[in-house]
Amino acid sequence: MTDSALPLQSDADQRDIAAIRRKNAVWRRILKDPPAALAALFLFLVVAAAILAPWIAPFDPYSNNMRFRLCPIGGPRCPQFLLGADAQGRDMLSRMLFGLRATLGIGALAVIIGGSIGAAIGLMAAFYRRLDTPLMRLVDVLLSFPAILFGLAIAAVVGTGLPGLVLALCVTSIPSIARIARGAAQSVMQQEYMEAGRAVGLGDGALIWRYLAINCWPTILIYMTLQLGQAILLGAALSFLGLGAQAPTAELGSMAADGRKFLTIAPHVSTLPCAAIFLVVLAFNVLGDALRDALDPKLRQ
Amino acid sequence: MARHIAHRLMISMPVLLGVLLIGFLLLQVVPTDPATVSAGPSATKADIEAIRQQMGLDKPVWLQFVLYLARVLQLDLGRSMISNRAVSEEIGLTLWPTIELMLACLIWAVPLGILLGTLAARRRGTLIDRCIMGLSVMGVSLPVFWVGLLLIQYVGGAGLLPIQGRDGPIWTASGLQSIVLPAITLGAVFVGPVARMTRTSLLETLSADYVRTARAKGASDWRVTIHHALRNALIPVVTLVGLQIGFLLGGSVVTETMFAWPGVGRMAVGAITSSDFPLAQGAILILAVGFMAVNLIVDVLYAYLDPRIARS
Repeated sequence: MTDSALPLQSDADQRDIAAIRRKNAVWRRILKDPPAALAALFLFLVVAAAILAPWIAPFDPYSNNMRFRLCPIGGPRCPQFLLGADAQGRDMLSRMLFGLRATLGIGALAVIIGGSIGAAIGLMAAFYRRLDTPLMRLVDVLLSFPAILFGLAIAAVVGTGLPGLVLALCVTSIPSIARIARGAAQSVMQQEYMEAGRAVGLGDGALIWRYLAINCWPTILIYMTLQLGQAILLGAALSFLGLGAQAPTAELGSMAADGRKFLTIAPHVSTLPCAAIFLVVLAFNVLGDALRDALDPKLRQ
Repeated sequence: MARHIAHRLMISMPVLLGVLLIGFLLLQVVPTDPATVSAGPSATKADIEAIRQQMGLDKPVWLQFVLYLARVLQLDLGRSMISNRAVSEEIGLTLWPTIELMLACLIWAVPLGILLGTLAARRRGTLIDRCIMGLSVMGVSLPVFWVGLLLIQYVGGAGLLPIQGRDGPIWTASGLQSIVLPAITLGAVFVGPVARMTRTSLLETLSADYVRTARAKGASDWRVTIHHALRNALIPVVTLVGLQIGFLLGGSVVTETMFAWPGVGRMAVGAITSSDFPLAQGAILILAVGFMAVNLIVDVLYAYLDPRIARS
C-alpha cells in the first residue's frame, strides 16, 4: 500500500491520484493498440495540415488556369502540381488542403455548438430529476430521427449553403452528446462532494458549473471528438448533394461532386477528396472504438 | 400488446406534429403570395382578397396550421411549383422506386452481414474476426457517394450495367439490370453495421446457459451456433436492422441522386435545390412518416417476437 509512504494523504488526494492513473491508462491503452495509435497520429497530421493550409499550400486553391485543365497526377503538363489539377486547372493539392480545412472546420464548429447544447441538456437532466424524463424523451426523439432528414429539412427552410449545413450537423450531434453527458453527470451526482457543496450553501448554478460540469467535461470532450467523424461524413454527403458548401468553395464533399462529370477522363479529381473523407472518418472511428473500449470497461471483453 | 402499440403511437405523436410544423413552415416561406398566383395576372385587388379569404390566408397562423393539418389528412399537399402537378401525385410516382431500391439493398446486404457476423463471432479473436471487424469499420466510414462513383467509373465505364435511371419495374430484365449498381452502392455501407450487430448479439447468446446445455448434450459446434444460438441472437439483429432504416434512408437519398433513380430522396433534393417548396414539404413529410411507420412496425414486431419487451 502506498498509504504508509504518504501518511498525510487524504481520501480526496487518493481519488485524484486514482483518476490520474485511470487517465494515463486510457492513453497507454491507445498507444498499445497499433491501429488506434496509427489513427491518432494520422488525425494529428491531418488536423495540423488543415490548420496550416494557408501557409503550406503551394498554390492559391482558387486561381484557375485552363492550360492545366484536368491535368492528371504527375502529368507532363503540370509538373508543379503534385496531385494534378481539377476542371478549372486549379492545383488539387492546395484544394485538398483547403478542402480538408473547410470540411474539418465545419464539422468541428457544428460539433462544438451542438455538443455544448447537448452537454447542457444532459447536465440539466441529471441535476434536476424532474426534467430528466421530458428532456430525455426529447433527446430520444432527436436520436431516432435520421440525420439526413434534418439535413434536408433545414436546407429546405434556411436554404442551401454553409449556415444551413452547420445548423443541420449541429442538431444531429445534440442527442448523442446529451446522452453521454447525462450518464457522466449521473455518476458525478452520486459523489459526496456534490452533497458537501450543497451543505456549504452553494446555489444550483455554482454546483452545476463548478462541481458537475468540471468533472464531466473530459468524457464529454472525448465523445465530441468521436462525433466529429459522423458529422464530417454527413456534412460531406450533404455538400455532395449540393445542399451544403457551394461550387467554388474548396470543400471535400462538393469537390467530389465536381469531379464526377470527369470520372472517365480524370478520375483523380473526385477520387482524391473521396479517399480523404474516407481516411479521416475511418481514423475517427478506429480511435473512437479504442477510446470507448478503454473508457467503458463493461464493453471490454 | 394493444397497449404497447397505443403507447408507441402516443410517443410518436409529438414527432409527427413537429414534422408537420416543418412542412407548414416550408409553405410559409414561399416567396410569392399564393392568392396572387392563383388569381392570375388580370385579377383586381378585390379578387385577390376574395381568394385570400377563400384559401383561409386571412385567418390567424394557428388556425392556418389546423387547416393545413386537415388538408394533409386528406392527402392534399398542394401543387409542385415547377411541374404544377399535385404533390401527392408526384410522391405516388416516386414511392415505389424508393421501396424497391431499399428492398434490393436489404436482400443481399442483410444475409451477407449476418453471415460475416456469425463467422466473426465463431472465430472470435482470430485473424478472420479481426479482418471482418476491420472491414465493418471501413464500411461504416465509407462515404456512400464514393462507392457509387467507383462503380460508375469501373462497371459503368466498361458498359457492363446501366448507371442512370430506372428501366422499368424490378421484375423485368431491364429493370433488374438498372437496379444492380444502386443496390450494391446502398448495401455496401449497410453490411458493416449488420455484421457488427450480429457478432455482438451472437457472442452474448453463445455464453447463455442453454447453449452450454446444447454443447453438453454433444451437439456439434456449428449446430450449436446455427440451430441454438443464432436463432435467438437474430431477434435483436432484426430490430436493429429495422432501426437502421434511418441510416439506409440517408444512403438512399445520395444513391438515388447519383444514379438518377426516380425515388423520393432524389425528388426531395431536386425540390430543395430548385426551391420548389410545396414539393420539398411533401417529400420531407413522406420520408419522415415512412420512417416513423417502419419504426413502429419493427417495434411491434419485436414485441411480438420477444413478449418481454411489451411487458416492461
